[in-house]
Amino acid sequence: MSDTKNATVDPSASVATSKGASWANWVIGVQGPLLGLILLCVIFAFTTNVFFSVRNALNVLDQVTVLGILAVGMTLVIVIGGIDLSVGSILAFGMMVMGWLKDSFNVPLPLAILIALLCGAVCGLINGLLVTKARLPAFIATLAMMSIGRGLANIVTDGRQVVGFPDWFTSLSTVRHFGFLSITVALFLILVAITWIFLRYRSAGRSLYAIGGSAEVARLAGIKVQTLTIWVYIAAGTLAGVAGIAQASRLDSSEPSAGLGYELDTIAAVVIGGASLSGGIGGIGGTIVGVLIIGVLHNGLNLIGVSPFIQQIIIGAVIAVAVMADTLRRKEA
Amino acid sequence: MGIPQNAVQRTCQASPLHLSISPPLHLSILPTARLPAVLPQGSGELKTQPHPTYPHNRMIRSMFLRSTSVIAVIAAAAFAFSSTSPVVAQQKDVTIGLAVANLQADFFNQIKQSVEAEAKAKGVTVITVDAKGDSATQVSQIQDLITRGIKALIYIPAGATAAGVPVKTAKAAGIPVVCVDRTPPDNPGDTFIATDSVSAARTLGEYVGKITDGKGKVGILQGQLGTTPEMDRDKGFSEALAKFPGLQVVAKQPSKAWMQDEGFAIAQDMLQRHPDITVFFGRADALALGAAQAVKVGNLDHKVIVVGFDGDVAGLKAVRDGTLTATMTQQTQGMGRLALQSALDLIAGKKLPADQLQDAVLTTKENVEPFIAKHP
Repeated sequence: MSDTKNATVDPSASVATSKGASWANWVIGVQGPLLGLILLCVIFAFTTNVFFSVRNALNVLDQVTVLGILAVGMTLVIVIGGIDLSVGSILAFGMMVMGWLKDSFNVPLPLAILIALLCGAVCGLINGLLVTKARLPAFIATLAMMSIGRGLANIVTDGRQVVGFPDWFTSLSTVRHFGFLSITVALFLILVAITWIFLRYRSAGRSLYAIGGSAEVARLAGIKVQTLTIWVYIAAGTLAGVAGIAQASRLDSSEPSAGLGYELDTIAAVVIGGASLSGGIGGIGGTIVGVLIIGVLHNGLNLIGVSPFIQQIIIGAVIAVAVMADTLRRKEA
Repeated sequence: MGIPQNAVQRTCQASPLHLSISPPLHLSILPTARLPAVLPQGSGELKTQPHPTYPHNRMIRSMFLRSTSVIAVIAAAAFAFSSTSPVVAQQKDVTIGLAVANLQADFFNQIKQSVEAEAKAKGVTVITVDAKGDSATQVSQIQDLITRGIKALIYIPAGATAAGVPVKTAKAAGIPVVCVDRTPPDNPGDTFIATDSVSAARTLGEYVGKITDGKGKVGILQGQLGTTPEMDRDKGFSEALAKFPGLQVVAKQPSKAWMQDEGFAIAQDMLQRHPDITVFFGRADALALGAAQAVKVGNLDHKVIVVGFDGDVAGLKAVRDGTLTATMTQQTQGMGRLALQSALDLIAGKKLPADQLQDAVLTTKENVEPFIAKHP
């Protein structure tokens, strides 16, 4: 009994008493969600004997890659107090552009990928301009882009899917180098590392928190709020394009209905990771934990064999509990 | 403090290693093993969790314990309802995975229920996953099923692409695949079970030609473009209409998910543009039901014949009530049983034909009753 209690209580206690001493302090604000993640893993490890294996861990990483790449961009957006509902549509748009160029015009795939990323960036740029110059609320601007992006994704091939990419392209997500690392997962991890360093150690990265805290104060302090905001949306759009490429590689096909509803999963992951929708709070560490919580939850429930309908209830409940626990902890701190 | 705190104590007492998820515990937390009865209680526990009123220094600790306990209860509940409960342990070595495209569609849900019922009768364990129409989700779910150690996979591809990736993955793991309803052209499974949609749609088209004396204007509510059923139904219906030059297709519009609300909106717009439409063909019963509703609220001056496809329960009742003139009833129950049997045959090493196409029955008011009583 005491073992369990200690294991459960220790990290949180150390948060309360000595922030610096906590073993999880390498990323601020991760402790609560991280604890939830560990708990989920422990529960699944004991309810099914196939969960706790290297192979399954690699499966989970593979399964969360697309969501994770989207969530990296979404973290930046949410930190500045914005929201991006268009990422799922931009994902589909980028994916379709790539497939269409390759299929109908025999464009070399690397070039097609670059153009697809550019399309994502342009969508992001439009989001940023709508938010800063046209002064639309981010919710509305990106809602509009969500609809436009979906339409564009369907227009490029008139709603048809594109199948059959070269082998090297699909092997990006299927071949595990050194026995564990596929290129798409590696890309995801690199993006995480870059963004983490950016948010923690670059002045522009720190400025994003200032903007999220109060855009007006940040502006008076000499931060180029509008420029940074536009760049954040461009980054989110480009990353959505990257996610689209990763998904196409994973599915060996492009389809215009891809990524439907992913924006909500992404926002959920970021918020579970401890970010605040009102801006100024959040971080990559937390987001990754949030992404993994969603990934592990889906994976584990499938492994146990829980009915799909009950899965939806459990996932909803876990989102509510995770965010509630974090909110209460913050209030206390 | 009520239930959550009790749960905490139990969690702690059970064992140092969260072995709380053992059967006695979840039985004690959740009074009965029957699912519908327990769920509201489970969620009620979450909602009614009292706000912390602890002294300041104990606050954080208690909160973590509480969220811990809630997650534990959830997982325990999940475990309690898992289809791998010890009740069916006698044939535990045969586990079959069922990957469904979208359980919101009655057609797939019928197949799922039939597979599960048949499996129960045979003492086989079935694990069902629902991709909600998203092919990326489905790839993940099939990975999970393979990890779970299934012996065969029944695969209803989600999305338009009917992604071949899951078949490839399963084959690589040495697991036989039974494709149902749709099949990936580049990576076919070991056998494919579906309705012969081309011939069924042709039958339906000929029936429409007969009852309209070969005259009229037709509006077609298509399914999701690029899917096998949509393409086949298009082919069969067009072949039949070619024999009736007086029947003219004036409008044709795709839906995204074969849903009733889409059918309603699409049909309403079609009637706006072509008020003289006399026949609607919904490529699924749900689409046709939407169209029938649009006709009803449109207050037209002429009768419109609405036909569907699938023979969903709702569709069959609509045929009985005259809302739909006809539908093609697919043998969903039969297909589910056949899918399970095929999976077992493949496990046993039997060779099956590449295609096992089933007939659909033209269903009108005259022959609908027996289908409502017992779906084929």
